[in-house]
Amino acid sequence: MSRHTHLPGQPLTALYLLHAGSMDARLIGLSVERHWKHSVRLVATLDEARVVLVDCDRPGVEAAFEQLGQHPRTGVVCYAFHPKDHAPRFPNRVILGKPLNLESLPGILAQAANDTARQVAVAPPRPQAAPETPPANFSSKPAALGHGLKMDDERDLCGAMDDIPLTAGATLPEKLFFDPDLYLIGHLSRAVEQAIVSGRPHVISGLPRLIGVQPRPLPICVTAFRDNQLRPFSMTQLPNTTARIVSSLIFSESVGTDTVYGAEDFLWNIAAWAARGRLPLGADPYQRVRLKAWPNFTHAFVSPHALRIAALWTRTWASPVEIATRLAIPHRYVFSVFSSAQFAGLLDRDAPAVTPPVIAPVVAPTQQQRPSILSRILRKLLNAV
Amino acid sequence: MRSERARHNKIIFSGTVGAGKSTAIAALSDIPPVSTEAVASDETAALKRTTTVAMDYGVLNLPDGEKVMLYGTPGQERFSFMWEILSEGGIGLVLLINNANTDPLKDLENYLAAFRKFISGTAVAIGVTHMDRAQEPGLDAYRQKLADLGHDPLPAVFRADARNREDVAMLVKALLYTLNPGLIDA
Repeated sequence: MSRHTHLPGQPLTALYLLHAGSMDARLIGLSVERHWKHSVRLVATLDEARVVLVDCDRPGVEAAFEQLGQHPRTGVVCYAFHPKDHAPRFPNRVILGKPLNLESLPGILAQAANDTARQVAVAPPRPQAAPETPPANFSSKPAALGHGLKMDDERDLCGAMDDIPLTAGATLPEKLFFDPDLYLIGHLSRAVEQAIVSGRPHVISGLPRLIGVQPRPLPICVTAFRDNQLRPFSMTQLPNTTARIVSSLIFSESVGTDTVYGAEDFLWNIAAWAARGRLPLGADPYQRVRLKAWPNFTHAFVSPHALRIAALWTRTWASPVEIATRLAIPHRYVFSVFSSAQFAGLLDRDAPAVTPPVIAPVVAPTQQQRPSILSRILRKLLNAV
Repeated sequence: MRSERARHNKIIFSGTVGAGKSTAIAALSDIPPVSTEAVASDETAALKRTTTVAMDYGVLNLPDGEKVMLYGTPGQERFSFMWEILSEGGIGLVLLINNANTDPLKDLENYLAAFRKFISGTAVAIGVTHMDRAQEPGLDAYRQKLADLGHDPLPAVFRADARNREDVAMLVKALLYTLNPGLIDA
């Protein structure tokens, strides 16, 4: 599907970013410039807008909403990490989940603008000026986005993909895969590779913050991105030409002394956030692989069941689907670990020609004395930490 | 008949002098850890002011009233005769290696050799401490060393701050899942 989605004769949607951070503003600005120029137009003032986009996670959002009281004809689309948490504060508002789906956002903005204008047109005249903004009730529609009000933490981390068939042969859904080149992980992976091969520092520029890669003595990544910026940024599709990888002789001066990450940990995390329960394009969910080693889980992102997956997958040649089956967990959790492991360099694909048959499902913990005490210790640790 | 000590559920913390065994136990224990630290009087003094000359332990109180003992072994090798006694009947080993030591990979090798019999019947999770002071060797070097020593599959090796309860808990969780990946964590 082309990203330049535009219905003939439809006016450009005048969009005002009412309460968006500078990074979001830049990303959305780039998207408008490069992909939506036939459907969306960014405007400089609220008066010109047909629809506004509001980041509910930023402080001061209530004050932002107060401004809308003067603009009843302006549609409102909100977005947040946890839409459910904001629903009581802003009832009847469209609240999309982060990351924003760039494919569908122009359509949602246009619909919010049109619906609001239509509601205002048919509403009975009010005696008072400055009426409250009519609600743009999309409660039954965001489901088409795959996120929205139903999104919860788990979905944030690993998506909501259904399991795939247990055996190869069927056509796999396209949405099972993500193209790393469209995300930060693709750029980062190339930068790390180029830095290691050349032995010289590299910098990813063109983003709101620089990301530097130092190959020696141990590969590290340095960035001024904060964690709470990195995660949404990693989840968001970047226009192809946004980031540039350049070799840098003066690493420390070009990047500064900001947060330092081990390259393996950094790649693991950025990949997990991009994947959200999907596989990198070209991955085979039925091919037997193995984890070379446990990831550094004191710093690497721990998705649901990741410890169990690592414990099993470091000792067993098995496909992602087989691992999920043995642990009796949804496939998407294993796909998340697979994606991270691939980019962190922890995936071993060189399975022996004859791999032993996949052993029986993991024994239920209640059947042995030891698992019983182990489970109780585990529960204690999970509750305590 | 097994001794009282052997009948306890216990997790063993061992490792080099100054790696943070006592600190790790303190971070995780539900009681103030009982410690037998003394002023260091030998070469250990160059590394830290006090050291564990016998053993120290803490306790994890489980909801059903059961207790899990957290035993820390003395780091000095002249007390290594205690290691086997302390580890008898243990669930597994959390091994802490001070990366700022002269040859931490050799330390790793020595401790794995000392606990070889115990580990073969249980499991080990390895925490590399003080990596903020000494970046090298990195985790890959530890993994390679473990592979060279014939460990297959490789045990969990994490960068760890012994003062951080989450890091210590993560090591114990990795140990538990190594023993049984089928444990239910939710």
